[in-house]
Amino acid sequence: MRPILKTTTALIAGAMIGLPAHAQSITITTAGGEYGAAMKEAMWGPAAAELGLDVREETQSDGLAAIRMQVISGSVTTDVVHLGSPEGAQAAELGLLEPLDYSVIDGEALPEGAHSDHCYPFDSYGTVMAWNTRTYPEGGPANWGEFWDVEKFPGKRALRANAQDLIEIALLSEGVAPADVYTVLSEEGGIERAIARLAELKPAVSVWWTSGAQSAQLLKDGEADLVITWNGRAQSVIDDGGGVDYSFKGSIIGTDCLGVPKGAPNIAAAMKLIAAMTTPEREARLTDYIAYGPVNTAAYEGGLIPGDRLKQLATAPGNLDSSVFSRADWWTAHGEEAQIAFDEMMNN
Amino acid sequence: MNTPRSAQLMRDARYERIFFLSMSLPAMVLVGIGALIPAAWIIQQSFQTLGGDFTLENYAKLLSSSLTWRALFVTIELSAATLGICIVLGIPLAFALASTPPRIANRLMMLILLPLWTSILVRTYGWLVLLRSDGLVNKTLIGSGIVSEPLPLIYNFTGTLIGMVHYMLPLFVLPTYAAMRDIDANAVRAAASMGASLWHSFWTVILPLSMGGIVSGGTIVFIYTLGFFITPAILGGGKVAPIAIRMERTLSTFQNWGAASALGVLLLVLVAIVAATLFGAMRLLRRHRVGG
Repeated sequence: MRPILKTTTALIAGAMIGLPAHAQSITITTAGGEYGAAMKEAMWGPAAAELGLDVREETQSDGLAAIRMQVISGSVTTDVVHLGSPEGAQAAELGLLEPLDYSVIDGEALPEGAHSDHCYPFDSYGTVMAWNTRTYPEGGPANWGEFWDVEKFPGKRALRANAQDLIEIALLSEGVAPADVYTVLSEEGGIERAIARLAELKPAVSVWWTSGAQSAQLLKDGEADLVITWNGRAQSVIDDGGGVDYSFKGSIIGTDCLGVPKGAPNIAAAMKLIAAMTTPEREARLTDYIAYGPVNTAAYEGGLIPGDRLKQLATAPGNLDSSVFSRADWWTAHGEEAQIAFDEMMNN
Repeated sequence: MNTPRSAQLMRDARYERIFFLSMSLPAMVLVGIGALIPAAWIIQQSFQTLGGDFTLENYAKLLSSSLTWRALFVTIELSAATLGICIVLGIPLAFALASTPPRIANRLMMLILLPLWTSILVRTYGWLVLLRSDGLVNKTLIGSGIVSEPLPLIYNFTGTLIGMVHYMLPLFVLPTYAAMRDIDANAVRAAASMGASLWHSFWTVILPLSMGGIVSGGTIVFIYTLGFFITPAILGGGKVAPIAIRMERTLSTFQNWGAASALGVLLLVLVAIVAATLFGAMRLLRRHRVGG
């Protein structure tokens, strides 16, 4: 009896020590669905094979809630978590993320304005202007200043019922340089200035939309002539044969990011996995599955992405110089103030 | 000789009461779990900070914000307008139904009930298709030369009101119809025999006798509309923001459960005030009628 017990214990102990030597097991939490599957195929699948890691996937529609629960309860099971950058900034603010190890992860690959200490951005979408090509056969507004020009572009506008992206756009429309947008917003009276500019456009706004699907419907039905929406939604209307066009000029770029929850079981391996997932090749590969533009600028070099796909990506070369990366940390700090000012403007 | 029998009767009556009370117990427990506990939780949340400490700040912020007062005003405006239109449209409809032979009335009733069995989302999006600028209604109006420009029928207060009335009308008509149907036809005949015109007997006989149904229908419509979300959210185009919409915004853009809960408590208080006023009015009405 006793020798048997000893052998068993030895076997179990051996197995416990032996396993990691073969393949360290780490867990990634994604949003699942088509998006999650695309990330697996293009990014973490090949990255895990290269690093010899055994990666387990968990899916959570609300990644922030999931890691908050894990960190607060003290049983963190996720090593890498996929978040929207606003949630990433919030998580960092709440102390739920480890700082990124930029000796392992390539910080130089990120364009200016996209940098984050806690959540590494890897793909992007743009908040863009879209227009009805029947109303404007000559083409849409060349910039946000023209979008505001109701004499040159008469017609009904539809904007999202949310201050996010719109106050940045309002400043761009007044000629504020993309690089200065957040400096101006952070100044005394900066938010008020942007809100006042939105109030100028308000009489021409026929709908304040609340869901991306609604914004696409408004474009498709011709219920609005000029719509500020996400590039994916505008593209879907075009794919459906709707008479619509859009432009990435002056778009506000939102990103999704990868972070490591505070106290994750395999922090070092998680940093390595993030680095390997976000190589130019793998971020470019992701666009085969889903039209989210790589944030790693090198992904656009060497013809990794076919030309017709390039046109659909917010971060493609030529779009970046006029665009603004949405600053998630600014929104974490000033979001409530901006939203309240926005709601008051809408109600007046 | 009567005593034992009446004692027996009283005992039976008591057993009966206990029996029916016990039958209603599951429903009462459900109401307790399904309504009172969440309500208590919301009230508790409204007095808490994000960290869970006691605070009055949620209410201080709420009551000092112009957004709250505006939302309150819009909520009452929408409820009152919905109720007003339901009364104007619903009373003649209920009266017409009550005056037709039961067999036909039952069939017509099905037509009124049909929308109630249809998902509210489907119905609201249906209005979107009908009322938009190149929708059926505007196309017909323009085609027949009544208007030259499409009327703004959706994404505003008008559109919200149309959607609300469409949803609420059956809820108003049902109790009103039931009350009118129960009126003794002889009362109307008596009025007619005394020389009252149809209009006169409607005002002096039918309307007062069906007041119970009208008030309960009206109460349902008004209180239901106070907390309505879907219709203003879809047909209001972001321009109609009653309390329910503010609550959703508080949650989705600020992730602030405390403030959203405080709004919920405010709505609860509003409903309680309306209900108490209506019950008071009804009691007065009844006393007045008995006394007069």
